[in-house]
Amino acid sequence: MKGHATAVVLAAALAAAAPGPQVPSVGKPPHRPPADKHIPFNYTSKNGMVVAAHPLAAEAGLAMLQAGGNAVDAAVAAAFALNAAEPFASGIGGGGFMVIYRARDKKTTVINFREKAPAAAAPSLFAEKGDAAEEWKSERGTAVGVPGMPAGWDYALRRYGTKTLAQAAARAVEIAEQGFPVSATFSTIDKDEYEKLLKNAGETTCYLNQGVPYEPGDVFRNPDLAKTLRLIGRKGIAEFYTGSIAPKIVAAVREKGGIMTLEDLAAYGPEEVEPLRGTYKGFEILTVPPPASGGLHIIQLLGALENWPVRAWGAESPAYIHHAAEAMRFIFADHARYLADPDFRSIPLARLLSKDYSRSIAAKVADDRIAGEYPFTVFDAAKDKRENTTHLAVADKDGNIVALTQSINDFFGCGIVPEGTGFLLNDHMRDFDTDPQSPNAPAPGRRPVSSMGPLIMTKDGAPYLVLGSPGGLRIFPSLAQIIVNIVDFGMNLDEAIEAPRFFASSGNGKAHPLVVETRIPEAVRKDLEKLGHALTLKEDYDKYFGGAQGLMFLRDKGLILGGADSRRDGVGAGY
Amino acid sequence: MSRTAFVAALAAFALGAPLLAQNKPAFEQPILITSAGQSADGQLAAVLAKKAELKADLVKMAAAKDLAGHKTLVLVLGASMKGLGAAGLDTAKEKDRIKGLLAAAKAQFIPVLCLHLGGEARRGELTDAMVAEYLPSAKMAIVVKSGDKDGLFTRIAKDKGVSLIEVDKTLDAVPPLKAAFAK
Repeated sequence: MKGHATAVVLAAALAAAAPGPQVPSVGKPPHRPPADKHIPFNYTSKNGMVVAAHPLAAEAGLAMLQAGGNAVDAAVAAAFALNAAEPFASGIGGGGFMVIYRARDKKTTVINFREKAPAAAAPSLFAEKGDAAEEWKSERGTAVGVPGMPAGWDYALRRYGTKTLAQAAARAVEIAEQGFPVSATFSTIDKDEYEKLLKNAGETTCYLNQGVPYEPGDVFRNPDLAKTLRLIGRKGIAEFYTGSIAPKIVAAVREKGGIMTLEDLAAYGPEEVEPLRGTYKGFEILTVPPPASGGLHIIQLLGALENWPVRAWGAESPAYIHHAAEAMRFIFADHARYLADPDFRSIPLARLLSKDYSRSIAAKVADDRIAGEYPFTVFDAAKDKRENTTHLAVADKDGNIVALTQSINDFFGCGIVPEGTGFLLNDHMRDFDTDPQSPNAPAPGRRPVSSMGPLIMTKDGAPYLVLGSPGGLRIFPSLAQIIVNIVDFGMNLDEAIEAPRFFASSGNGKAHPLVVETRIPEAVRKDLEKLGHALTLKEDYDKYFGGAQGLMFLRDKGLILGGADSRRDGVGAGY
Repeated sequence: MSRTAFVAALAAFALGAPLLAQNKPAFEQPILITSAGQSADGQLAAVLAKKAELKADLVKMAAAKDLAGHKTLVLVLGASMKGLGAAGLDTAKEKDRIKGLLAAAKAQFIPVLCLHLGGEARRGELTDAMVAEYLPSAKMAIVVKSGDKDGLFTRIAKDKGVSLIEVDKTLDAVPPLKAAFAK
């Protein structure tokens, strides 16, 4: 493990990027992250810290902190910047969840700005498309949920921030105008989503370079987005929901067969809700409630793990991986059976979160074999290859904290860009079930179940860990594993983030293969196969498992640690 | 195109030109483009062909019958599990399709031009197997250089007498592609 760096390390991350235009850096770094980005590295600061999936976003958040903004101001500035710098993962055409801890009164709250289904969305919306349902859920106009991002950011700033929307958007406008050299991650994703972009955004879109995917080092600029963000900053989010941008969104969606109307946009509003609460070995976890599923499932999985001698088994041990994988498979049963928009369907949260219920999950797991039967699961792993979404976390000098997960769903969303706006629309309608009888079927104004799970973990009432990740349904297993790595296996923050990951699910009542990073030793994999697990191997560090960002507070040392996942382009910046 | 990229493309073309003259690939239009491995690189090849002002048809699941009316087969080497899944294919079915297509092209004296546009990120077990199996059938290959870091394309091209042109970036493939069809 490397030693802790001090102060700002952003410039080093930028220097490591491919050559291109000079991007302003924030201070001289006395210590730099290792050249091999996979070597665990904890960013360290005393006053404030931002971790995000792109160096320019971390820099934007840090600049806001240094300009006197609080954690919410910095989180929104970084979120705007991600729209410009990591446009394939999130942006104003999407939605998300923000967990805010306000130090003044030790209050934790959640802002839910998940997209909603248009009023014309019937439960049979996708079922009636037959074999083409997946396409209509992901690449046609019906894929687009009413975006919540601008409303959510605006609400957070007004309620808990100190800066204006225009101030928060300013750095993102510069990034979009000036451009930046694309990373290998950007280039690979651009290539993977090429056909969708060509089909929906067209050969001349800024998301392609003269009609072909960007190569690492090519400079990406998005002047249309700069104009749009400047406009929203100047005129407020009404410009998006009821002003000049709204008809462009509706026209783009409907041209591709969608059902969204101006009334749907005008009716959108975020909501502030109480966090979901659970415990793990003396720590309290505060996270997002449904329609997000990540928080609930993290608490369930950790609750099950409390019943086994995980610490004695050890990280990467067959026993730990087997028991955790089986617990995941049973939790997928709950996901299919109960998860829905709570405004439309009652969810027995108290029961699902109880220690008794966790014990009942653990009791179903045999030590010497996989169960093989997992009632109620309908999850189709083949359709869930998603590695999308993004997560950031911020802590300020006063102790305020934000954990923010946001997304346009699949990388590059549905690929539709409203004319002249430069932003991508989401395909979060894909998160609804196709089956009209499902509790998570589309319905007017309903929010699709999300996998997100940004969280704050406290010890004796004080924040200890802030965590979140993209990665679809890998989010809850990945975050739970990071927590276990820290609490049980004694890893420091970034060691815990970079450690090898695994994922298991079930569908149609049967086990899906156990998916593992190849760093899990072959001998362990063989032992797992002996227990009945079919294995699927991923890369050594595979973004399939997400891209977690985290903060840890070492109160006795007066330090904030930042961990950023090398499976994507995550970095930290502090002061 | 940046100046560096232009120079690289020019150099690649200059290196490739003698090979073209030597082996007389004599590629003619119209072109049938298909992907070996169902990656998005097939679509990319169609866009490059358009930029090169070539008359080309992209048929993702091209079979022997699709060769009718075409004078060159462009096979885009690069596998994608996502693409195979979307096409409802497994590896064996995709390999059978390409094998049949190449056999039909050979029987009809239709020359094959291979493209590898995905670079290093597109390499992998399945892509490598396809490169090994199908590249020898080509008269010529245009390859994005990062995809040949380990010399796989160079080695096979040398052994099997395939003219090989390497380019730095995807867009740099346009000039040699255009030149390959020049009369």
